[in-house]
Amino acid sequence: MSGVLVLALRLLTALALYGFLGWALVFLYREIYRQGTILTTRRIPGISIMIRYAGKPGTLRYFNQAEITIGRDPGCDIPLQDDTISARHAHLTYHHNQWWLEDLASTNGTQLNDTPITLPTVITSKDEIRCGSVVLAISLSENVIIEPTQRLGKKNQPKSQQ
Amino acid sequence: MNDQNQSRLLQWAAFFLFLQSVILTLAPAVRERTWDVDYRIAHWFGLLAWGVFTFLAHRVLNKYLPERDPYIFPVAALLSGWGLLSIWRLDESFGIRQTAWLGVSLIVLIASARFLKNLTFLKNYKYIFLTSGLLITALTLLFGTNPMGIGPRLWLGVGGIYFQPSEPLKILLVIYLSAYLADRANIRLLSIPLLIPTLIVTGLALLLLVVQRDLGTASIFIFLFTIFLFIASGKRRLLFGTGAFLLTALLLGYFFIDIIHIRVVGWLNPWDDPSGNSYQIIQSLLAVANGGTLGRGLGIGSPLLVPVAISDFIFSAIAEETGLIGTVGLICLIWLILARGMIIALRAPDNFRRYLAAGITAYLGVQSLLIIGGNLRLLPLTGVTLPFVSYGGSSLLTSFIALYLLLVISNVEDAEPAPLQNPHPYTILAGIFALGLAACALTSAWWAIARGDDLLARTDNPRRAIADRFVLRGEIVDNNNQPISITTGESGSYTREYLYPELAPVTGYTHPVYGQAGLEASLDDYLRGLQGNPTSLILWNQLIYGTPPPGLDVRLSLDLSLQSAADNLLSEHRGTILLMNAETGEVLVMASHPTYDPNKLDEEGDSLSQDKDSPLINRATQGLYPLGDALLPLIKAQFGDDSFSDAELLGFYDELGIFRSPLITLPVAEAFQTDDIADLRASPLQVALATAALTYQGILPAPRIATAVNTLEQGWVVLPALDQPKEVIQTQAAEEAALSFIQEGEVFWSHIAVGRINQTTVTWLTAGTPPNWQGAPLTLVMALEENNPSLVEQIGSQLFNTLLSK
Repeated sequence: MSGVLVLALRLLTALALYGFLGWALVFLYREIYRQGTILTTRRIPGISIMIRYAGKPGTLRYFNQAEITIGRDPGCDIPLQDDTISARHAHLTYHHNQWWLEDLASTNGTQLNDTPITLPTVITSKDEIRCGSVVLAISLSENVIIEPTQRLGKKNQPKSQQ
Repeated sequence: MNDQNQSRLLQWAAFFLFLQSVILTLAPAVRERTWDVDYRIAHWFGLLAWGVFTFLAHRVLNKYLPERDPYIFPVAALLSGWGLLSIWRLDESFGIRQTAWLGVSLIVLIASARFLKNLTFLKNYKYIFLTSGLLITALTLLFGTNPMGIGPRLWLGVGGIYFQPSEPLKILLVIYLSAYLADRANIRLLSIPLLIPTLIVTGLALLLLVVQRDLGTASIFIFLFTIFLFIASGKRRLLFGTGAFLLTALLLGYFFIDIIHIRVVGWLNPWDDPSGNSYQIIQSLLAVANGGTLGRGLGIGSPLLVPVAISDFIFSAIAEETGLIGTVGLICLIWLILARGMIIALRAPDNFRRYLAAGITAYLGVQSLLIIGGNLRLLPLTGVTLPFVSYGGSSLLTSFIALYLLLVISNVEDAEPAPLQNPHPYTILAGIFALGLAACALTSAWWAIARGDDLLARTDNPRRAIADRFVLRGEIVDNNNQPISITTGESGSYTREYLYPELAPVTGYTHPVYGQAGLEASLDDYLRGLQGNPTSLILWNQLIYGTPPPGLDVRLSLDLSLQSAADNLLSEHRGTILLMNAETGEVLVMASHPTYDPNKLDEEGDSLSQDKDSPLINRATQGLYPLGDALLPLIKAQFGDDSFSDAELLGFYDELGIFRSPLITLPVAEAFQTDDIADLRASPLQVALATAALTYQGILPAPRIATAVNTLEQGWVVLPALDQPKEVIQTQAAEEAALSFIQEGEVFWSHIAVGRINQTTVTWLTAGTPPNWQGAPLTLVMALEENNPSLVEQIGSQLFNTLLSK
């Protein structure tokens, strides 16, 4: 019967149409998943910061995150107890494969190598940031991603040796 | 990954289109229910061309635009292929043209992707583009034509190829506005820089509307401009402002511009004028309703009933043949393109490209919403095309240029998106499109499912008449199974044939133009197979063919040999003869003259309804004649020789059913109501029923004319009478009165009376077999529309003699 055959084909057509849409949804999901994975595994070079209050010995801090805030507020990543520092004074961000310094409209301003900054500025190793009376010396490490600790044993030996 | 995704999606699209093509090939076999048909194969050429060009475009995009968005090209390919097959299905000559245009569009896409990957030239020469677009559009004012001969003259034609410049003008406007606004950061409303584009756009829209009468393009320009300003300024009040402006414009246009007036009236109140200005929209809704959930299957519905189904109403054509499942899928595809377009806009590396992507997305979205909403009576009708799907070279080419721009903009490598101050315009716009498309999907469901049965039962649904050409209608036969009305011909060209045309006032007709009358109308459900068949069979036929199952034969109580005798005797005289079995109420003869020939309805249909002799009327049941003392024998039986008051007589007439329409499967006249005996009128059927009571034991029978229906499972099944018999006079009194009316030398009782009111005169004969009759008790009633007792007596006598000699 032609009618029954065509009925089956019509059902199959509906299946094909929604198959297309279904695959599109699967791809969209995969895209979201991939984008998420890329963003979480993006390598952020670690940054070491030597914090020196005027006339005191410095303390060294190491960071491995994309944004570091500097300010008097204790919630900041680098809390600075000094009256010349604003509550949220400046921040360091990592994007476009660079570390950027940006002043957050602080009262006393932020200086990079003794030059006041107004726009986000790229920083490199051995730069000195001055927030009020506090000096932060930057040192970037080239290879700071620490691989997960591996257990030694036969299982983990490279395949080429087998 | 991109290439794989695109390739997989294209495979699904090709699979879908292949199946649709197979269905279209097989469609004639399904419609005519036989394998011996001319299969449709021409559209395979279209599918082949689609496959070749899509494959080439796929390869070129992989090579030259590796980082492009992988979704929009397969979606556009699926939409354009779907539209292409729908156009091949609707009209093969347009199918060839659309195939050629699809080829041109894809070649343009391939060439642009290969050679034009940098869009800055658009920005640099924005004024040249816009001006040339405007100039070409202006040419249509002078040299414009319409390929269909009538309607707005929006095309430029050279040697049979037509082009509509207002289509690419939409893209040119989008390019111009993107470039103009991208050059000016922080646009403020009500500022000088906005004056130039505002003037250009509104002037253009007004010009198109007033001179070209092109409501669709004019509204698209206004919407696009609003969306651009909203994106550039981020001011939400702009949307409300434009909304209020459009509403005011709509009101003004309603009163002053006829094209808007017609569209708004047709939108708000289409049911008032279903054959005039609202014809298109109602036919469109009927198509959606006929599609139902699963659709009729490509080539099996009747979408050609909707005017301009190939372009403006292609959505309803698709809805009819793929159903709600198809339209929801189509709407999802459009949503996918719009959503990806918005994402492309947000990821664009600079403002020009961001505005351009958002503007193109808005163009595709607004146009899709306008026409889908218009097809579904969600919005007033604007004659625009459905991007990628509708027939139209300019529209298809413009859609593919839009696609090319989106593909190029999405093809960014390692560039960060431009900073965005205010994301709201993009999210709000995407939200509006999503809501609009969801509203379209819900409206589709409303017409297809919630209102589907109501719509399909409308008398202006031509699909019933079309189904009659493909499905065998039941026969009407007499009580000896002699055929009266039969269906002849092949599936696809079935026609009704009336073998005994003199019976036309009784049996009626079924005709694609003039509808149905008589028994063909009152027994339609049986003859059409919608009653008497198992519900599962009806549903199954509806599912696979979209038609009712083959009809069932109906047997009448009429006896053709007696009927022809009565017709011969009545011949040219105007009047009616009714012969009834007084015991069972079965009508053996029902002659109504003058009569007509239903086989000649095509030629005579219009004049018949104007005829002063009213041949279409069944005088036996629909004629109301002055009663006079036609029922004297019954009065004798009831009252004897006693005197009686008018009130008593009226009460007795009421008992006899004179004030009540008889219940029979035929159209009957509304019973005449009066308190004045001199003004009394009755139909011959009412008189015959009363007379039957005198002939047989004083019992008023329940009349029947359709006695049995030939079902598939149980064979002939008796159709019960619609009424109950009722004793109205005592048997003894009835028999005595009947005996007293037997004339000298006759075996039957009879009575002749003349009824007269004003200019109307009728001669009645009431007669019947005597009480001691051995055979079936018969009663005869004749009403002649003239004062001629002797003729009536003669016909009555001859008829009874014929009857008794049998």
